[in-house]
Amino acid sequence: MSWYTLPGSVPWLTLSLVIPLAGALLVALTPGEVRRVVKQLGVLSAVITLVLVLAIIGGFQHGVGNLHLQFEETLRWIPSAGISYHLGVDGLSLFLLGLNALLFLIAIVIVDPLIPRLKQFILLLLILEAATAGILLSLDLVLFYVFWEAMLVPLYFLIGVWGEGQRVYAAFKFLIYTVIGSFAMLVAILAVTAINFSQTGQLSFDWTVLVQHPAAGIWHLPAGLGTIGIQQLLFIGFGLAFAIKMPIFPLHTWLPPAYTSSPIPVVIVFAGLVSKLGAYGFLRFNLALFPDAAHSLGGLLAVLATIGILYGAFMALVQTDLKRLVAYASMSHLGFIGLGIFAGNLLGIEGALIQMINHGVIIAALFLIVGMIERRAGTRDRGELRGLAATAPLFAALFLVVSLAALGLPGLNGFVGEFLIMLGAWASFIPMAVGAGIGVILAAWYVLRFYQGTTQEVPPQPATFGELRTADVGVLAPLLALMVLIGVTPAFFPAAVDATVKALPVLLR
Amino acid sequence: MTINLSGIGIDYGAILPELVVAGTAIVVLFLELFVPPDRRRWLAAVTVVGLLGALVATISLWGQNRSAFGDTVIADSLAAFFNVLLILITIATVAISPRYLEALDLDYGEYYILILGATAGMMLLAAATSLMTIFLGIELLSISLYVLSGFARTALRSQESALKYLLLGGFATGFLLYGMALIYGATGSTTLRGIAAFTTAASSNAGGNVLLLLGIGFLSVGLAFKASAAPFHMWTPDVYEGAPSIVTTFMSVATKSAAFAAIGRVFIATFPSISSRWYFPLALIAIFSLFIGNLVAITQDNLKRMLAYSGIAQAGYILLGVLPGTAQGFSATLFYVAAYSLMNFGAFAVVTAVAAGGEQTAELSHWRGLFYRRPFLATVMTIFMLSLAGIPPTVGFFAKLFVFQALVSAQIWAPLIVAVIMTIVSFYYYLRVVVIMLAAPDEAVVEKRRLGIPTSTVLGAAALATLVLGIFPAVVLDWATRAASLHF
Repeated sequence: MSWYTLPGSVPWLTLSLVIPLAGALLVALTPGEVRRVVKQLGVLSAVITLVLVLAIIGGFQHGVGNLHLQFEETLRWIPSAGISYHLGVDGLSLFLLGLNALLFLIAIVIVDPLIPRLKQFILLLLILEAATAGILLSLDLVLFYVFWEAMLVPLYFLIGVWGEGQRVYAAFKFLIYTVIGSFAMLVAILAVTAINFSQTGQLSFDWTVLVQHPAAGIWHLPAGLGTIGIQQLLFIGFGLAFAIKMPIFPLHTWLPPAYTSSPIPVVIVFAGLVSKLGAYGFLRFNLALFPDAAHSLGGLLAVLATIGILYGAFMALVQTDLKRLVAYASMSHLGFIGLGIFAGNLLGIEGALIQMINHGVIIAALFLIVGMIERRAGTRDRGELRGLAATAPLFAALFLVVSLAALGLPGLNGFVGEFLIMLGAWASFIPMAVGAGIGVILAAWYVLRFYQGTTQEVPPQPATFGELRTADVGVLAPLLALMVLIGVTPAFFPAAVDATVKALPVLLR
Repeated sequence: MTINLSGIGIDYGAILPELVVAGTAIVVLFLELFVPPDRRRWLAAVTVVGLLGALVATISLWGQNRSAFGDTVIADSLAAFFNVLLILITIATVAISPRYLEALDLDYGEYYILILGATAGMMLLAAATSLMTIFLGIELLSISLYVLSGFARTALRSQESALKYLLLGGFATGFLLYGMALIYGATGSTTLRGIAAFTTAASSNAGGNVLLLLGIGFLSVGLAFKASAAPFHMWTPDVYEGAPSIVTTFMSVATKSAAFAAIGRVFIATFPSISSRWYFPLALIAIFSLFIGNLVAITQDNLKRMLAYSGIAQAGYILLGVLPGTAQGFSATLFYVAAYSLMNFGAFAVVTAVAAGGEQTAELSHWRGLFYRRPFLATVMTIFMLSLAGIPPTVGFFAKLFVFQALVSAQIWAPLIVAVIMTIVSFYYYLRVVVIMLAAPDEAVVEKRRLGIPTSTVLGAAALATLVLGIFPAVVLDWATRAASLHF
């Protein structure tokens, strides 16, 4: 599917990390008083990054490369500890990289230039972009961990300083949850390397090395408490970090306060992208490094994912705050992604990969719409909003498209992913597929009520809700285009990721 | 092997760095008589020049392995590692001293003499290969620090701090000496080489020698006191809080570093054959330090006390690297010592700079909104706090990573799990400082207090090094590995 070949001598992936950082440096050197320049620098770096990432996506060749990895870069970093700077991109990370660049561009574009400390806000967003891109590109476990932890700091400050409501509490809760997961993963990273060292004599944190020798053996618990497989133990260590980030029920309690407190530009990347990094971690590490454990623990996680679908949907039904409503809808949709991953078959995983892109596009659009409503109407309470369509028909029309995509109407993108995931789930766990089906019905309920309740009926007099401006349409347009594009060409994405997914060790067992 | 013709191996070249530092102290002592009170900054300049001379002397001994004075001191790569570290700490301390001392009206020449005396003692401790020289080094550094703790003569807290340190320190020295006597009684030697030869000899049955084990136990108490590891940490919060901030800055990093040089030489190089005997008590000390340091730090409302408890916890992490008794573990310890020195010095230096700006108290409530009043200080403080918590990309992250890696390789699980859980706990109090600095201030006025070029240079360099070493740790790690490998 490659249209052209990019010259191999250029470190494309490093460039996609360096450009946001260079932008951050330029922003840091600009005096904070010239707000227009600060914002334009931020937008400019995000645009260049997006163009570069699109070039990488276009130059990606289907089914080529060692382990289907391309644009690989390897540099010595800390050789005595077996740590290297190793980047690469494959079917798992390719489109998420594109989503990353797109969502950060949208987030920076919609930043209100009049907010206090604009310079630091843009600076942190650009650093966050580099960190999330690094997570997607790292093929060394320590490098991955560095980016994973580095992502925390900007997010923490973005919520804690610029957030609303109980922002400090929300930021702190998010931080503590995440750190607990991270350290479980850190110990598992060290253990998986030590085990590989004792088995092969090669000290390496490199994913491409570790993926070829899955850890084996069992662990005897002290005091005769029985045994547990080492793979299962390591799976749990990694899984905890990713399950908290996604989040999987019952590790989700940090999510409602964190999403609700985040400013809209932050929540777009937070819900649209960061949550998906947990799902990506499951695919990249848990399913690839511990295939046996993925089979033995997949059933349990699929149950939790299904509970998450239903729990999120029911919670979304009873919310009156639109931001909280979308937050729970996001959690419910992420349950689908989890279900597809843990179904452990080709259909489920490909469905999950597509749904990851879809979820990013749809949730970002929904949060954008919530932000537009709040800015125009001054409230985001469902009870106080009605009849917005009367004065803003274009807004209502675009909102309708997003709503239909969110509830999974065929012809739009949400349907493609959910359908594949349900097929995959049906093949592995029939009751979970049924539960997910109920989740789809509930989604139609809360999404349509959200849409109808706010846009229909007679507006309060005088109707003051303003129509969309060109800039608002411009921000929504790429997301809407993707919804339609993925909806009408459903075969495009599976074809691109097919080779990588089929090579996943979990499918070979 | 190094016993030369004169019989006891007099070799002043091997202790040249220590001699230069001690010599500078004597020069400053005389200069102090002639320098008028308003020109005391010149004493700081002379001190820095002397320390740079010691740095040159250290470099001239680079790569050597020179034992002297009848096996009582050695100039090897471990000593060089600590010499460079300690000299850099002292230079940075002296550079930021004048401003603080003038602000608090403590600007006396004796300050520099005592700092140099303490540094000479620490360097000697790092080079010591005999129980006698270990004792000499510890006494030299301790007595200087007793006086320095009480340097703010008119402040009651400072006097209390000095007296407490003196009394408890005296006790610890008693333990140390008694332990040394017992070890000598058991092995018949005071040099570490002789003791090691005794313990490794198959016939000695060192593992069952009660006299020797008791001696090692008492020696550990004395060393753990200097490293302020729990449960021998009781003095730390009070002394750190009461002593002038600049003295706390110096002693919190330099004393701990020097103590770990001695711990490494004693446990890893001298008693490797009975490591199963000292593993458990040492692991217990590490676990105690992690628990007490991290849990009590949460409840502190005074930044100096909080950093004191954080220092106790950090001693626990550093000690973890000693537990495996391997080269990998000890190089992780050395890396951690260097990282700790950098970030903890930075944190206390910020406290000092804030105190020099007129805020006499280190109560956390006074730090509210510091980001808006003094953005530079708040920014570098954030970097040091993130590093102490171990968040990448800072040097503190790799320090923890390497220690944890050594523990996993040696399959030491219980202390590792404690360390991981306590690290999560530590996030709470380190980040609380950042949150407080970020909290909306009562009045948002940017204070135009000038820090002075030396202070801002030192703070900026420390913050930059924390970040740069957090991205490229390999340089220091390789150096630490070379310094650690000599013993194996």
